[in-house]
This record gives sequence, structure tokens and C-alpha cells, in this order.
Amino acid sequence: MTLVDVSERGSPPRHSFGARLSDLVNPILVREVQQAVKGRVFPWAILLALAASVVIASVVSSEERGVVNGRGVFSAGLATLAPLLLFVVPMQAYNSMRTELRGGIVEQLLMTRLGPGRVLIGKLQAAMVQFLLYVSLLAPLLATSYLLRGVDLPTIAVSLFFAFVACLTATAFAISSAAQAIVPALQAIANLGMAFGLGVATLGAVFAIAGGDYTQLIGALIRSGQLTVTLTAVTLAATVSVTLSWLTARSYLLHTFEDKSSGFRVFLWALPVLVYGWMCVFVERAYWSEVFPSLTVGLLLMGIGFGVFMVTEQRALSPRVRHHVPKGGLTSALAAPLLPGRDRGMLCFTAFALFLLAVGWSFWPQGGLDERGPDLVARVGLMIFAYGLFYLNAGRWLRGLLPETVPGSQAGRVVMPVLLFACIVVPLLVDGLRGGYVGEWHWGHVLNPFWTTVHAVSDRWVDAQPVVLGALVALSIAQVPLWIRGVGEVTRASTALRRR
Amino acid sequence: MTALLQVKNLSRRYGKVRAVSDLCFEMGCGQITGFVGPNGAGKTTTMRIAATLDVPDGGDVLVDGTSVLVEPRLARMRIGYMSDQFHPYPNLDVMQFLDFFARAYGLRSRRRIETVHSVANFCGLGSFLDRPATGLSKGMGQRLHLAKTLLHDPALLILDEPASGLDPRARIEFRDLLKRLAAAGKGILISSHILPELGEMCDSVVVIEKGERVVAGAIGDVQREAQLEQTIVAKVTREADAEAMQRHLAELPMVGDVAVDGVQLRFAFVGDDDDLAGVLAGCVAAGYGLVEFSRDAADLEDIFLKTTKGRLQ
Repeated sequence: MTLVDVSERGSPPRHSFGARLSDLVNPILVREVQQAVKGRVFPWAILLALAASVVIASVVSSEERGVVNGRGVFSAGLATLAPLLLFVVPMQAYNSMRTELRGGIVEQLLMTRLGPGRVLIGKLQAAMVQFLLYVSLLAPLLATSYLLRGVDLPTIAVSLFFAFVACLTATAFAISSAAQAIVPALQAIANLGMAFGLGVATLGAVFAIAGGDYTQLIGALIRSGQLTVTLTAVTLAATVSVTLSWLTARSYLLHTFEDKSSGFRVFLWALPVLVYGWMCVFVERAYWSEVFPSLTVGLLLMGIGFGVFMVTEQRALSPRVRHHVPKGGLTSALAAPLLPGRDRGMLCFTAFALFLLAVGWSFWPQGGLDERGPDLVARVGLMIFAYGLFYLNAGRWLRGLLPETVPGSQAGRVVMPVLLFACIVVPLLVDGLRGGYVGEWHWGHVLNPFWTTVHAVSDRWVDAQPVVLGALVALSIAQVPLWIRGVGEVTRASTALRRR
Repeated sequence: MTALLQVKNLSRRYGKVRAVSDLCFEMGCGQITGFVGPNGAGKTTTMRIAATLDVPDGGDVLVDGTSVLVEPRLARMRIGYMSDQFHPYPNLDVMQFLDFFARAYGLRSRRRIETVHSVANFCGLGSFLDRPATGLSKGMGQRLHLAKTLLHDPALLILDEPASGLDPRARIEFRDLLKRLAAAGKGILISSHILPELGEMCDSVVVIEKGERVVAGAIGDVQREAQLEQTIVAKVTREADAEAMQRHLAELPMVGDVAVDGVQLRFAFVGDDDDLAGVLAGCVAAGYGLVEFSRDAADLEDIFLKTTKGRLQ
């Protein structure tokens, strides 16, 4: 017997076309729109935007018409839009997420069929509805600026595209920051950081637009022939940023035993496809010799960033993940680097770095604008790989000394930068105390990745190369037992599942 | 038959504090189980783990046979969790609030609207649908909280202090709602500090202290296990009947002291439900004008006081 059977029927409900239509969209979006309509911030923002439009239109209509006026209207309209899109929309999303977290409301939400992913997508969609409303409010001003011959259509279109990307990225970041504030210790930092970050970004944008530099810059970009590559690069960066924000926020809201890690690991492996794919499609072949090394080293650095989180996780699989590993023996072994756990995290990072090394080995350009350029980048890349491997191994070992809990993992992520900082600063202090000043590089500074890299990659590379390669091989071999342990746990879980 | 809720060797620590330690109990469908213990005994921790909102250091909880650790998403569909805090969204009316959660539970089109109306009517919110969700009284707020919890028709309701802060009328109405839900087959695990009230509606009880189970089972069984006398209250139509019934009861072996106060009798009783039913049948057969015959609601307090030692952590 269901509750509907038990209860008395009320008045027959009406099911309108609008209600049927709203079934198709995210429930969070429906609720946020309902709340916005009844709330105060949204009507006030609309009123202010309208008032700004009226003021700008009045000022323009009282002056002589011409190119300068048209550009002025465009800049004024865009400068009015900037605070709305870079501050009001993200801050609304931030506060909305914070409200969700207050008093355990989010727990009630997570008990429903809405997973954290859909909650976050709903929040982003609601923010984008606001974006459309604000843009449509100021659209008459932008159209006027075109009619006054102040700006051309491509400038307006490119500007709106940048506005959309900036608003989306800032909102995703705001939602992610709010979700991270589920950890009480991070709440004050998140509030302060968000208000400060969005405030600075907004002020910077308003000053750049109002100063007139922005329209000139866009004009120059359109004329330069680099528009496509720039727009696609911005799109790629925004995609990476929004996805990372989404994955981060989702990981804070998921059930403790859910797989929070695989999404990041798969995304890490998707990055080379996206980045190299972008280069192949949108960058002229003539620039590949410069772009390819930079992208490869950039990817390696991102890999280290991801690695910090992967190697500080809890070691064992959670009961839930253990019951959902692939059932096939080979599939489970192949999937192991993508599954949670710090041993598998180390394997995932090493495999990723070796993959980049292989790609670099196969396609590394010879020569370039500067004859030594690509060689120098390759040496820097090798040094980064070696130091990444060393510090991630050290971080993994230190994490092992901490409790096997979520706070233990969070502490591990703090310990790693502290270790790096100590390895850099302590030798410098010792030098300073012993000699009164910091002199030349010596072996005491070998754990200082920045100074040692600068020291080694130039003239001393002949001496440094065997040491770096030896360290890479030694560090890789030292990990083999970890890899076996990490993969073994997954294959054992898979075998247990097959036997059921 | 699988129990609706099985708590198996559950343990949870917060730093050095042992919140729950090797806790075991189970309950079935249509059963109301009181979850009782002093402050800090581990009630909320246990309930949160059962509701998939926390994870244990050891042990497991099965809801309708589904582990909350292995399949939390599946388990959530069978659980309605009502926490001790309720903060409805601002700028939404009651209808919009319930409609949102119905959407979130995956209810679509006409079924969603029907369910929202049915649940609202069941919880007595039918005439409050256009009121702001944040502007309701405490009692109506709890009804809204319960309505939200019932939208997906869960088999198990986990209610953490649902009656706290309610006035007597709201408490009685809320209790009646829970009884109707249990009659509809829902299992209800409820924690409360208002023990007489729990005693009136619960079939079974789990008493915990310092995270450990002190006693668990049907209230009558627990009383017997703890060698506690139950107090039965009976009411007859005439004082003469009361005196006659007093004499009748005094001859029964399971009945202790019988006190008469006008037309009301109170007597101590040791036995199970069948024994009690026999006593009742005997009184009816003897022709006493019996109008009331029930366990004294204060029994759960007796169990609580006699089984716990007031140890805090």
C-alpha cells in the first residue's frame, strides 16, 4: 500500500503545458527560477540594469552622433554588463550553493535521485538563464552602438562570446568554492576568496572596458587573423576550468564511499587528446615547433597537480568501489590506474608522464625560432618529470603516516607543499647562517627544483643528464611493488565479484 | 523474511570518542521502533549512517537487504530521512517546495502533481499550499518536513527527534500521522526524548548508551528481559465494578499490586502480550463495564531509567 492509497484525495490537480514542459529541465533550474522571481536581488539587478541603459541612452541622445559616441555607448553598455556577469551572477550562484549547504539542506537533496553532478549542472543552468536575461536587457544598448557605427557586428559577437565564457567560468568556480566550504575550516577562506576574487576581476574588466583598450584589442584581434585560434584556445581553457570546477565540487558532495577519483583521472588522460587535437586543428603548422613543447610541458605540470591529489588518497578501495570494479580480469587490471587509491594514483601519474615522454620523443621538433629552444624545453621537461616523481613519492610516503581517513587525505595535500617549501628554504637558511649569505648552487640544494633546474639545464647538462635519467629510472623501479599492490587489489576484487 | 532494517556490528569513532560501538539491532515493516539513549549516546550517528549520510569505521547497515555502504544510491530510494534540523528554501511556497522535491525524486508529469497533493493532504498541509515555506509554524514546518520525506514513498522512515519543540496538540497530531504510516506498512525508526509519547506509539525499542546497545526488542519482551513490571491502566463504568475487578485481578499470578482510584485501576503485570490478552478477556467475560485497558505510557521511561546508567561521553 502506498502513501497515495492511504491519503485522502484533494482537489483534482491540473497539469498544464508549462508543467509538462518543466519536466524536461533540471529541477534545480526550475526551483532557482521560482526563487529568483520571488526574491529581491534579481528584480533589483534588473531595475539597475534598466536604469543604467536609460541613463546611457539619455547621455548619448543629448550629444552629437558619431563614431566616438557609438563606441562610447558600446563601452558603457559592456561596462554595465561586466559587474552583472562577473560579480552578480557568480555571487548569486555562490550564495545559492551556500544556502544549500546550510543546515544540512544539501543532505536532503543528496538523498533524492539528483546526484551531485546534476545539482551542480542545475546551478550552472540557472546562472546561464540569468546571463541571458541580463544580456537581453542590455541588448538594445549594444544594438544602438552598432547603429551609431561605433562598433561592427564581429566586435559585438566576440565580446558577447567572451562575456559568456567569463561568466560561465566564474560561476563554475564560485559554485565549486561554495561546495568546498562544506568543510567548516574552508568556509571563511572560501567566502573571503570569492568576494575578493570576483571583485578584483570585475573591477579589472570594468576599467579595461571603460578605458577603451578593450575595443581596440578586440578590433586588432579580429584584423590579425588569429581570431579562430584565440577563440578556440579560450573555449578550451574554459572547458578545462569548468570541468575541473565541476569535478571538484562533485567530489565534495558525493557519498564518502563513492568513487571521487576516477573522474579526475579520466579527465587527465583526456587532456592530451583535447590539447594536441586543438593544436593539430587550429594552430598553423609553422608554429607547432613552439606550441608543441610548451603544451607538453604544460600537460606534465598539470599531471603533477593532479598527482598531488591522487597520491594523497586513502590506500584501499572503499566497499562501494570494490563492489563495482570491472568483472573481467584484463579489464580490471587495465582500469586499475583510473580507480581510487594512492598506489594506483602513483601508477596513473607515472603512466601519464611516460605517455607524454613517448609523445615528446616521437614528435619533438628539431630546432625552431631559437636553435636551442626545443632542446632546452626538453631538458626542463625531464627535470620536471624527475622532481614530480620524487616529490609525489615522498608525498605518498608521508600520507601513509597519516590516518586512513578523509581528513588524513586533506592533511596529506597540505603536507606536500610544506615539504617542498622546507626542501627549498632549509638549505638556503643553512647557507645564510653559516656564511652570512646564499652563495652558489651546491648539492645541498639538489631538492630545490627551481634552482637546480636553472643550474642543470644550461651548460652543465652533460653532467646532469646521467643523474636525472638515473634518478628517473631508480624512482620508477622503486614504484613497481606499489603498482603490483595497487593493481592486485583491483584484480582480487574483480575475482571476488566473478565468484559470486 | 528479510528485516527492513538491519544494523550489523556498527562502529564509528570521532577521534578518540567512540560514538557507536559494535551496535546490532533490526526492525521490520509496519513497525515503529523507538531509538532511545542519553545525549551523546550515538543515536544521531547511527541514524545518519543508516541514512547514508555518514560512514562507519566497521560494520554495515542493510535497508531491505541493500547495504548502505555498497549501494548507497539504491538504499536512499528506500529511505526517508527526517533530520532534527529543517531549513526550507527561501522564496518558495509549500506547493513549490514539495513540487521541487518530487521532481528531485524523479516523479514526472501527472504522477508528480498527484503525489504532491496526496502527501500534502495526508500531512494536513492541503490548505497551506500557497503559504511561504519559511513562514510556517514549528508544527506545520515539521509536517512539511515529513511530507517531503514521504514523497518517494520510502519503505523505511528514519526520524531524528521529529517531535522536539512541538506543542502538545502538534505532537499528538504528528504521532497520529506516524501511526497511520506504520499501519500502511512503513517501518519507522524514531528517536525522541519524550519517552511517554514514544511508549504510546512504539512496538519495539532500542536503548543505547555510550554507543553500545543496552537493550533491544518488543517493549513487552524488553520489560520481561529487564524484569520490569508493566503498569496496566484500566477504566470501568462503575466504582462497584472497579472493586470487583480489583478482587479478580488480585487472584491472578501475573498481577501485582492493584490500586483503585474511583473507576480507574492501576496494576503491575509481568507477562507477554498473550498473557495480557488473557487477563483482558477474563475481565470482559466477568462482565465488568470495561471502557479502557492499556499499558501505562510511562513504561519506556522505566526501561530507560533502569537500563541506562547516565554515563556521558
